[in-house]
Amino acid sequence: MVSTDSRTDETFHRLHPLTPLASGLRVGAPLLAFLAISAGERQAGDHSGLLTTTIIFVVVAVLVTIKGFISLAVTRYRLEAGELRVDSGLITRQSKRLRLDRLQSVDVRQPLAPRLLGLAELRIVTAGAARESVHLSYLAEPVARQLRAEMMGRAAGLGPGVAEAPEQPLTSVDPGILIWSTVLSLVSWRIAPVFFVAFGIIATALHHSSENLPGAIAGAVFVILVAIGQVLWARINNLWNFKIAQSPDGLRVRRGLLNTQTNTIPPGRIQALRIHQPLLWRLFGWATLQINIAGSGDRRQRFDHILLPVAPIEHARWLLSTALGGVNVEAVELTRPPSRAWVVAPLWWRYMAAGSDDRIFVTRHGLFSRSLEVVPNERTQSVHLHAGPIARWIRLASVHLDSTRGPVRIRARHRDNGEARKMLDTQADRARRARSVASPSRWMQSPSATSQGQ
Amino acid sequence: MSGTADAFAAPPGTQWQRVSPKLRAMRRALVTIVVIVCAGALAAGLSPTGPVGPIVVVVVGLLAVAWAWVVIDRNWRSWGYTERQDDLLVVHGALFRTLVVVPYGRMQLVDLEAGPIERLYGIVTVKLHTASASTDARIRGLLPEDAQHLRERLASRGEAHAAGL
Repeated sequence: MVSTDSRTDETFHRLHPLTPLASGLRVGAPLLAFLAISAGERQAGDHSGLLTTTIIFVVVAVLVTIKGFISLAVTRYRLEAGELRVDSGLITRQSKRLRLDRLQSVDVRQPLAPRLLGLAELRIVTAGAARESVHLSYLAEPVARQLRAEMMGRAAGLGPGVAEAPEQPLTSVDPGILIWSTVLSLVSWRIAPVFFVAFGIIATALHHSSENLPGAIAGAVFVILVAIGQVLWARINNLWNFKIAQSPDGLRVRRGLLNTQTNTIPPGRIQALRIHQPLLWRLFGWATLQINIAGSGDRRQRFDHILLPVAPIEHARWLLSTALGGVNVEAVELTRPPSRAWVVAPLWWRYMAAGSDDRIFVTRHGLFSRSLEVVPNERTQSVHLHAGPIARWIRLASVHLDSTRGPVRIRARHRDNGEARKMLDTQADRARRARSVASPSRWMQSPSATSQGQ
Repeated sequence: MSGTADAFAAPPGTQWQRVSPKLRAMRRALVTIVVIVCAGALAAGLSPTGPVGPIVVVVVGLLAVAWAWVVIDRNWRSWGYTERQDDLLVVHGALFRTLVVVPYGRMQLVDLEAGPIERLYGIVTVKLHTASASTDARIRGLLPEDAQHLRERLASRGEAHAAGL
């Protein structure tokens, strides 16, 4: 819709010329791996399946390469006053403007193929009335870093020409613990469908004839191994070498094995946090710290919600407190639901607790796996009270604090009617007061910048 | 309805604004039509087997309609909203009760929606969006002019209270 003023072209930047190659390779690399693996199986004589798969991969790789050429030709970007402008589109030209004061996060991503070529993808998420995200793929890696620093600097109110902010490492994750914790975390209800399928295979085989039994057991074991392998690989590939650092720009998260990326979360952008301990992690005192950030919600980006994959629980508590600028979660007095809540939550009502103070709202729950959720009052979106028929019969209600999409859900469940209503009103009031004194979005100009910069 | 400690009562000094009875009328009409069509088809299908089947169908159909009318009435009565200085409160649901508090400063969009049947009855749904997908703040069954005014008030207050995320 916006006129594309071609006279000012010299100030626009373009993508890196190797973009098509990087795009093509990114899709084509799995093909090479696949061909290498199946090379051994060629003697088996089953060529047709292999051929079809190869053709599909090649066609896709070619299409992606062509798309890379097109985006190279049509995409250009420029930092304007307070905005990042990105023009793109071949047939319908579009011009996106991302408001830097609404910046939620800036990620530098390096999937394997672009990384080998020294390229990176820049993903920028802004929020507000119009939530938008833009991927600039691909830029030379130093260019991407510089652009991120520049945007962060401007968003912070420092003006143009900012170098990358210095950072102070906070913590990193031990690879051994990462692998073990992933295996241990598989012991949960989520794995049940896999076992269901595996037993189904064995049962079907038994039903038809017992001769197939060894094959069926092998098949079942294979299904289980594949499922475990996938989870393990996804976690290791995404969370390997996990490092988190603090800088004036916010928290900086680096991670990845084959695909590496650096996410920067500006101060005050964390909407809610959760310390979670799957059942078996409790034996080792491990915990994970997850967050909700506005603008990144879908399943594909679930690793963006991890602020600490696995660490001793004291560590997770300390990081939670640091991420919120030094709140003391322990100091918040938590209360339990009344004992009649056993009707709706038989054993686990004892482990539910909730409470709040001037800065945060805290909930705790879980009989087997334990969770602790924290939301700063100024990040509360809306608050709601809910009660079903049984809860109303025994005069209970639950208070929910609505947060942006993510793994953290804050619910003070099964509270006494009067108490629940009081909690709702108090939280609405505290959130209002917290909002009115909240630091402005340009964090370096804020009066509280000094306290946040520690 | 109002017990000693009704957690879903209107805040002190305010009253729930009720929604238009047209919402109830629309839902009752819809249910009645659906039941008549289904029962009619079933009764016609059963008619060759004798008079007992169709009679049972008709009786069950009538009971279903009567029950639905009561349920719809209860649900309609459960809807309410009130505008406070800093936030909007919406209450709804007879069996599963929900009370939402949406601060004006957190509202990102206010939508007016009306499907074809709602338009026929002249009612509108006002929907509030915040940055949270779990904010379920809708007010059903408003008259179009009320909805329009409500939206304008909400929009101007949202601007006055605008906060970052």
